[in-house]
Amino acid sequence: MNNWAIEAEQLIKRFPRRATPDSANGDNGPAGKTEPRTRWPFGRKKEPAAWFTAVDDVDLQIQQGEVFGLLGPNGAGKSTTIRMLCTLLEPTSGLARVNGFDVVKQSNQVRQSLGTVLAGERSIYWKLTARENLEYFAALFHIPAKVARCRIDDLLERMELTNRANDLVEKYSTGMKQRVAVARALLAQPPILLLDEPTLGLDPQAARRVRELVKELKAEGHTILLTTHYMEEADQLSDRIGIIDQGKVIALGTPAELKRRISQQDAIRLEVAGWQTEMAESLRQLPTVENVVPHYTGTDSLWEVNLLTANSRAVLPGIIDRLNTNGTRVVNMNVVQPTLEDVFIHLTGKALRD
Amino acid sequence: MVTTPATSSTANARQHGLLAELSALRAVVRREWTIFRRYPSWIIALFIWPVIFPMAYILSSQALAGPTSGGLQIFQRNAGTTDVVGYIVIGTIIWMWQNIVLWNVGFALREEQLRGTLESSWMSPSWRFSLLLGNSVVQMLVMLIFIGVSLVEFTVFYGVRFNGDPLLVVLMFLLSIPSIYGLGFAFASVVITAREANAFVFLVRGLVMIFCGITYPIAVLPGWMQSVAQFLPQTYIIYGFREAMLNGASFQALLPVYQILVVFGAFWLAVGFALFRRMERRARQTGALGQY
Ligand SMILES: Nc1ncnc2c1ncn2[C@@H]1O[C@H](COP(=O)(O)OP(=O)(O)OP(=O)(O)O)[C@@H](O)[C@H]1O
Ligand SMILES: [Mg+2]
Repeated sequence: MNNWAIEAEQLIKRFPRRATPDSANGDNGPAGKTEPRTRWPFGRKKEPAAWFTAVDDVDLQIQQGEVFGLLGPNGAGKSTTIRMLCTLLEPTSGLARVNGFDVVKQSNQVRQSLGTVLAGERSIYWKLTARENLEYFAALFHIPAKVARCRIDDLLERMELTNRANDLVEKYSTGMKQRVAVARALLAQPPILLLDEPTLGLDPQAARRVRELVKELKAEGHTILLTTHYMEEADQLSDRIGIIDQGKVIALGTPAELKRRISQQDAIRLEVAGWQTEMAESLRQLPTVENVVPHYTGTDSLWEVNLLTANSRAVLPGIIDRLNTNGTRVVNMNVVQPTLEDVFIHLTGKALRD
Repeated sequence: MVTTPATSSTANARQHGLLAELSALRAVVRREWTIFRRYPSWIIALFIWPVIFPMAYILSSQALAGPTSGGLQIFQRNAGTTDVVGYIVIGTIIWMWQNIVLWNVGFALREEQLRGTLESSWMSPSWRFSLLLGNSVVQMLVMLIFIGVSLVEFTVFYGVRFNGDPLLVVLMFLLSIPSIYGLGFAFASVVITAREANAFVFLVRGLVMIFCGITYPIAVLPGWMQSVAQFLPQTYIIYGFREAMLNGASFQALLPVYQILVVFGAFWLAVGFALFRRMERRARQTGALGQY
């Protein structure tokens, strides 16, 4: 047996296709007819009308002590990957090991090796205090009461929750709830942590606090797999990053390696008033221009348009010419070093956030 | 504090085996009890509902009986009791018991699924059935108080005189538990993966209400309904409690009811457990636990 902390080989997860609006944005995955079915709840399982591939042939090898970031847009399959690793979901096919244990055949050992933060603030009981929550989960993780009491005191202290420890969680801020969830994951002192969007919905200060915590935990020797759709966060925290889209890992490497892939190029950010959809095509016709991704900012009919080019000096006049027509105006423009966001656009032709 | 992550799980202080599972179960019970106490509606559930609900039936029976209570004598002959109020009270209490179990135990996991906490408990290395079992233990405690309160309230307000052997009544209570809670387990498991199952709670409620004779003797039902009634454990539970509490039946007389309840109980517990296991497997395939 080798000693990867987390390992996945050709991991695939398919779901019976649902008839909910949220799978409607999934124009991804192998096409299949959506055929809603009402099922007799006591009946036997029928073959669903179609399958939806949420995680598609993922290979991962994460070293001990490494922080690995899984970066991808909504619906990319990040949470599904985490759910398979923490044994909540069974892979449709493929193999995954955590701490050397098979997630299907040795699920109990896997659960004992892991601390997982899924669904953040919603994963704890709001009608209990932070201390009661931690006491409950400690018992569920088979930690003897006496040991648990010490650890809970330490964790509350560390998460700066000590003076609110006996208040109901429902009175906490989102950041505090998230810290209780992280404390819960640390209770059993697991070697490996899975953090699913640990900063989602937090204000900037609370998010910074969580990111610091991730760094501290890494320094203590934890292996951490975290998912995010904030590229700055992945860039800042991860030793290596896997970019995931439509269930596939489409790029993998250190942040620097990933950025180097397009380092010969410049990223141009434009702010355009009165953007017309056919302009994207017109820009693409300019030499060396690629990855034109327009994106509505949501204010004053302003659009943000990102593109990559090998030679910004040569194409800028052409860009401005083509845009400043028929009442359309370029109101702002920056030529910047490519970021992970641009790497993502380069790879997928679309923005991380939409 | 510095947590030193263990390189393997065995290096951690950890309990093992049955003892560990028992403390996990106890933790679930404590969690449920703490949360229950924090919702003020428990006062209504425990003290007000038990008197209010049977009242409608009791009052209509008095109205139907006419000014001279002539109708009551006919009812008494049919029902084999002289205590009409006691008769109705027992029927409605059992109905409420089953009803509360269907809602509270039946939706225990569903509610956690909606709140988002189900997956966090599910990820622990503990026995998952404890989550349901712990909830039921709390429900059982609450129901004991509920039934106790009802009995006191009816002796005080309506002058019902319960005259049975308390031990036989307790035995009846214990033997009713597996059927009533087994049905609750079955529901709790089905509603996780099949939302449409909510409707079945109403169906079961209705069945029990009409077929099991909560306010009237089964004998007034048409023949085919009586045959349906004999497949519902609640029929025997209601009958048994009436015999034990109002008619002072002996152990010998109650024995057949006890035996039938053992069979029904074993059946429904097995069904509940099997459906739970099936839900566990199915949720691993479909990810149902994390959906809301
Ligand atoms: N239990 C399920 N049943 C059916 N489809 C599912 C299920 N869970 C997830 N999906 C679908 O699989 C896809 C991947 O979902 P997943 O939650 O893994 O994405 P994600 O990368 O975590 O995205 P987000 O940033 O929105 O959290 C989505 O299209 C989602 O609708
Ligand atoms: Mg997610």
